Amino acid sequence: MVVILGALLLGGLLAWVAERWGEVWPRGVALMALAIAAASSLVPSWRGEVAWPWIPRLGVGFHLAVDGLSLLLVWLALFLGFVSVVVSWREIKERVGLFHFNLLWVLAGVIGVFLAADLMLFYLFWELMLIPMAFLILVWGYGDRVRSALKFFIFTQASGLAMLVSIVALAVFHARTTGRLSFDLMELQGTPLSQGAARWVMFGFVAAFAVKLPAVPVHTWLPDAHTDAPTAGSVVLAGLLLKTGAYGLLRFVVPLFPQAAAEAAPILMGVGVAGILYGAVVAFAQTDFKRLVAYTSVAHMGFVLLGIFALNPMARQGAVLQMIAHGISTPALFIIAGALQARLHTRDLREMGGLWAVAPRMGAVALFFIVATLGLPGLGNFVAEFLTLAGTFQMRAWMAAVAAAGVVGAAIYALSLMQRSFHGPHREGLVMSDLSVREVVVLGVMMAVLVGLGLVPQPVLDLAGGAHVGP
Amino acid sequence: MQDLLWLVPGLPLLGFLVLSLAGGRLSRPAMAAVGTGSVGASAMVATLVALGFHEPFRQVLWEWMRVGEFAPTIGFRLDALSLVMILVITWVGFLIHAYSCAFMAGDAGYRRFFAIMNLFVAAMLTLVLADNLLFLYLGWEGVGLCSYLLIGFWYQDPANGRAARKAFIVTRVGDTAFAIGLFFLIAQVGTLDIEEAMTRAGSISAATAAALLLGGAVGKSAQIPLQVWLPDAMAGPTPVSALIHAATMVTAGVYLIARTQALFALAPVVQTMVAVIGAATLLLGGIGALAQRDIKRVLAYSTMSQIGLMFLALGLGAWPAAIFHFMTHAFFKALLFLAAGSVTLSLHHEHDIFRMGGLWKSLPISFATFLIGAASLSGMPFVTAGFFSKESILGSAWERGVGWWSVALVGVLLTSLYIFRVVFIVFFGEAKTSVAPRRDVLLTLPMVALAILALVGGWIPIPVGVFEPHVGVASVVSMAGIVIAWSLRAPLAFPGVDFDGLYERAFVRPFLRLANAVGRDPADAVSFGPAWAAATAHRLASATQTGSLRWYAAGIVFGGVVLLAVVLWW
Amino acid sequence: MSGRDVVSLLPMLMVAGGAVATMLVAGFWRRHRLAQRVTVVGLALGFVSVLWIDSETPRHVTTLLVIDRFALLFMGLLTAASFTIAVLSTGYWDRKGGRVEEFYVLLQVAALGGMVLAASRHLVSFFLGLELLTVPLYPLIAYSRAEDRSIEAGVKYLVLAAGSAAILLFGMALLYAEAGTLEFGRLGGGLAPAGLALILVGVGFKLGVAPFHLWVPDVYEGAPAPVTALIATVSKGAMFAVLLRFLQMTGMTPSLEAALGVIAIASMALGNVSALLQDNVKRLLGYSSIAHLGYLLVALLAGGIDVAAYYLLAYFATVLGAFGVVMALSGRDRDADDLADYRGLYWRQPGAALVLVASFLSLAGLPITGGFLAKVFVVVSGLRSGLWMLVAALAVTSAVGVFYYLRVIVTVFRKVEEAPPSPRLSRAAGAVLGIVMGLLVWLGVWPEPFQRIMVSAAGALR
Repeated sequence: MVVILGALLLGGLLAWVAERWGEVWPRGVALMALAIAAASSLVPSWRGEVAWPWIPRLGVGFHLAVDGLSLLLVWLALFLGFVSVVVSWREIKERVGLFHFNLLWVLAGVIGVFLAADLMLFYLFWELMLIPMAFLILVWGYGDRVRSALKFFIFTQASGLAMLVSIVALAVFHARTTGRLSFDLMELQGTPLSQGAARWVMFGFVAAFAVKLPAVPVHTWLPDAHTDAPTAGSVVLAGLLLKTGAYGLLRFVVPLFPQAAAEAAPILMGVGVAGILYGAVVAFAQTDFKRLVAYTSVAHMGFVLLGIFALNPMARQGAVLQMIAHGISTPALFIIAGALQARLHTRDLREMGGLWAVAPRMGAVALFFIVATLGLPGLGNFVAEFLTLAGTFQMRAWMAAVAAAGVVGAAIYALSLMQRSFHGPHREGLVMSDLSVREVVVLGVMMAVLVGLGLVPQPVLDLAGGAHVGP
Repeated sequence: MQDLLWLVPGLPLLGFLVLSLAGGRLSRPAMAAVGTGSVGASAMVATLVALGFHEPFRQVLWEWMRVGEFAPTIGFRLDALSLVMILVITWVGFLIHAYSCAFMAGDAGYRRFFAIMNLFVAAMLTLVLADNLLFLYLGWEGVGLCSYLLIGFWYQDPANGRAARKAFIVTRVGDTAFAIGLFFLIAQVGTLDIEEAMTRAGSISAATAAALLLGGAVGKSAQIPLQVWLPDAMAGPTPVSALIHAATMVTAGVYLIARTQALFALAPVVQTMVAVIGAATLLLGGIGALAQRDIKRVLAYSTMSQIGLMFLALGLGAWPAAIFHFMTHAFFKALLFLAAGSVTLSLHHEHDIFRMGGLWKSLPISFATFLIGAASLSGMPFVTAGFFSKESILGSAWERGVGWWSVALVGVLLTSLYIFRVVFIVFFGEAKTSVAPRRDVLLTLPMVALAILALVGGWIPIPVGVFEPHVGVASVVSMAGIVIAWSLRAPLAFPGVDFDGLYERAFVRPFLRLANAVGRDPADAVSFGPAWAAATAHRLASATQTGSLRWYAAGIVFGGVVLLAVVLWW
Repeated sequence: MSGRDVVSLLPMLMVAGGAVATMLVAGFWRRHRLAQRVTVVGLALGFVSVLWIDSETPRHVTTLLVIDRFALLFMGLLTAASFTIAVLSTGYWDRKGGRVEEFYVLLQVAALGGMVLAASRHLVSFFLGLELLTVPLYPLIAYSRAEDRSIEAGVKYLVLAAGSAAILLFGMALLYAEAGTLEFGRLGGGLAPAGLALILVGVGFKLGVAPFHLWVPDVYEGAPAPVTALIATVSKGAMFAVLLRFLQMTGMTPSLEAALGVIAIASMALGNVSALLQDNVKRLLGYSSIAHLGYLLVALLAGGIDVAAYYLLAYFATVLGAFGVVMALSGRDRDADDLADYRGLYWRQPGAALVLVASFLSLAGLPITGGFLAKVFVVVSGLRSGLWMLVAALAVTSAVGVFYYLRVIVTVFRKVEEAPPSPRLSRAAGAVLGIVMGLLVWLGVWPEPFQRIMVSAAGALR
């Protein structure tokens, strides 16, 4: 596991340096680093636990551990890493080295978050991924990118500080009963907390994760960040960064505060349902391709929140699968948005229409991911949403029923997206090239993964289900 | 033989995959061959399986997922009901595909058309063969998707797109009820396996489950109150309409209720509801059909009405009769659509019946086949298939009460009224347009084949039950209808319930207003609020930086005083 | 005074000797480089002798000074910081032109004053060190005689510092009247609260914490960049060191804790809020320093001497990195203090830009920099001592602070059409900045070695 992180961090630095030898070098270095990381993630014997002392005085360890849930998300991260490098091949022309440095460091931060078994180390990675992500938006973004990058950063950082206080508070409470300061997740589990303390401490965690997820109403950084980010930025943002919020809820909030989480569950489920409905309605009203997709993320991550706090194995499985499926389908839509922007120099849906006539291949691919988004059976998103809702139904039937209405909402915005971009009358002069082979290969693999998740989800469910509480 | 069952939906799916992934390199005839051939081969396999059919069996391909006890499979189950369904779907589907080869000949989206048609058939076959409700739901939604794509096939016209989205979204409202029904079943019986769920259904609140499933059925089968999408769905090419109305899509609801009739039998209230919905739609569709000018819309209302008849049968517990009628309906409705399609094709896509007339001479084959279809639809005694199935429904209605029977009778009257009215307007009277007859054996042969089926299909023994027809009041009523139809050749208009306008006001506009209101994401206040607060605080704090030395010195003195105060009085 | 005492005073003697030598050399040869070299050698010797002195047992040199690990730690810090400033400022003064030799003399004297403060255990040496540190700052702040801002800042500082020193002195007198002694260790528990409060006013002024902070932005802006760096590091660091020792030896009272708590919260809030839309980088760093001293007070209140020391070390490295870049970019006529000067810096001078970015990340408390771990340590020690309010205030105000730090970083990466020409870094300055940045990252990644030093230094106070 150290190899994965090391390969990405060093690869990032090397890619930065390699810029001076030519534009291709950083890309090659990035791919190599990802390949090394991917290879080492596939070797089971390299997945052993790592526990080195780091800041012994505070009981902080460099403790990495992996279980099914982490492994799934690490694979997702590496997969999207490859995707990001490939989709940036044409889009990123400037400062290629710095770009890949930032990309690889974001990935390292995200993977670190998925692997950390020490809360302070987790916090380090949590913060580590923010800066390069903000840079990706800032330097290679579009539109009002400075504002978007700052907004993203301040939302996440402010909530992150709340989490830091909570992490330390938890460790301090633990130290008060055991006399030993430790940030190790295993040790902190089962820390006896008074009801009030548990609520407050959990609140800090939930704040950070809800912002990242994002949950209504603290989601507003997301549409801005997505809209202005470069394609690879959106891919990483939608595919991975949002997942760290969900991961945090699964890994920390529920196991560390079982009682407080159960108490707060109805509220958080309500927030999830609100996100599903609100995201669907707002998405429909958008005229910017990327912004629309960004709001669909709000809706989809509402399902994840709902599934996690249904506190039911089936719903939890659904939430995990949703993380993976959404991690494929939404980045794919952003890639299509990026491809459209590269060709038409606009993301405004009012200026599109009838594009199927000129780019049928792209139209078909877009259609695939759009119907994946609206939860068509046979694709991963359906299994995820179905399990989430079926699990939720067993706990709180009416919530599942209301959330199911969001599925209708999904149909409305998804089809309207399809109509306004690829269907409808084709305008004279609106010409563009179809998908290139490179794009077809990337999107094709993503399609295959979604079909696989939809028809044979069991391996993923087994891995996710095998995730015992805590690494 | 029976091991081949998976090939029945598998072959059309393969056709879809070939056409969509590698189809770009195929020539147009090859596309047609793949598209039609895959369904044809599937029909052959289905026939082979049918010939070897002795008792229900299942074929599980793999376990789809397993979460705790809940473990749906990717698996098929063949019994009498699904056997009838697959035979009708594959054979009628095959004929429609063959017809399409010619009908769509000049279209730029030839490959797309066949690919989606194949997927449509595959999804429908999955729906009827699935051994569990989740897999059935997969086919169910697949059917919905394909109907969306085919209704909006000519995507350049926004009206088509609107019709397509309307179909998808309206049916999805029903689907959502269906999905909630599935959640309910999982929560209550822990399985979606149809056989098991039905046997365990006695222990649960069957009424809730049945009502939720009914919601799905009502949406897919275009019954009141979710019938609004069907007339608009005529926006698609005619073979698509034929497929939607005859073999796939709208019959899914009928199949679902027939499939879960054990559940419905446990919930008499819901079952009565089915009958009421069916009866209402039967009448509403019949009246609606009378008021149409577009030949395809007449047929659309007709379908609505006929499915209503099947629902009535289902609601009365006579599901074998409903399935029987489904089969004959598939024959004559497909025939009517294909014949209507050949008419419009020869009239430069003219759909208005009042601009047609006297076509019997110029389009003899279209005339003959349409007439056969119309006769079968109105249940002409003995010589048509429709007679047998309709009689069996009327028979069961009679057994359940004279009220139901008379409603059905009114439906029968309306049916022969509207369809023969069309026959008279279109094929008789004086010619009003120039005719350019399209002669193509690929157009004609499927029509002829379907015409034969529409005539003799009533004699086909189907394994769901034995039906004894008798000539009775219904035949008389239906004949009377034909006679009255002759006098009703002028355009008609009825004040009806404007469902579209109602839904527009009740759902569409409020939704649009809501979307407009929140489109700019009012939740962004969470960022503006603190940002404003910080900016204000910044201004206030900056105001203390006057640059004046006196003020700074005063600041220090002030601080000193405060500190003194704190330490002295704390 | 025994020979051993002399040996233990070696760091101070080296720096004092350096100051004298520089003065002598400047008297004969007015050559910038020469003065600079002598200074650098003096400070380097001072630093080396800190490392060389056996610090196992604290050594009391007269009743005024004590040379223990704590004192040595801060002497090392102060000499290292002065050394860094001396190296980095060379190019700056080169471009400014004029007679600059006295800068080096005053720099060393100020450093010496700081060292006296770090070793002080007596109110007399406290005041002596304070004045030794403050008086050189008057001319230093006004060193750019051609600039009105500089003169104005110098005058302001002179008046306010003198006034606050008088208040401090009065506070000391009150303490003496009460206890009859001037030794920290014998002042004992029940100190005259009024005297403490007045001392706190003087200390608070030097630290630039609210509400005694009003001078900070003006002086930061007006003083030449090297002098600002000196104020930010040596002056505030030494003052904090003596405050730590003073409070440790006299003991805290609840009222004192309350007073310091109020000061800390006010500083964190005012510093961060005032900096929000600041376009002048030096002023911005001034506001930022107000906030950071507030964070440091949280560490102090939590009793985390080692944490405070670690924080100061990280803060020294951070601020020196930031001001190093400011100095390196400043031209003849004015300091590079406008945010616009940094627009697109990365595309012109990636090296300098990286140092600046690392410094600002550290100021914002982001990984992988010293500022990140330092802030984490403060939070840990704060919560361990149950300072919920203070830690909450720290978290909230830091979140606000992220905005303006990031604003600078964003500016550095903005694309510009036309880049204003900017001076190149000298090799020595580049090397020193590289070391500073390396230290910054080290402090953020592998704190253990430094923590050990800090803990043992803190042990000397107990």
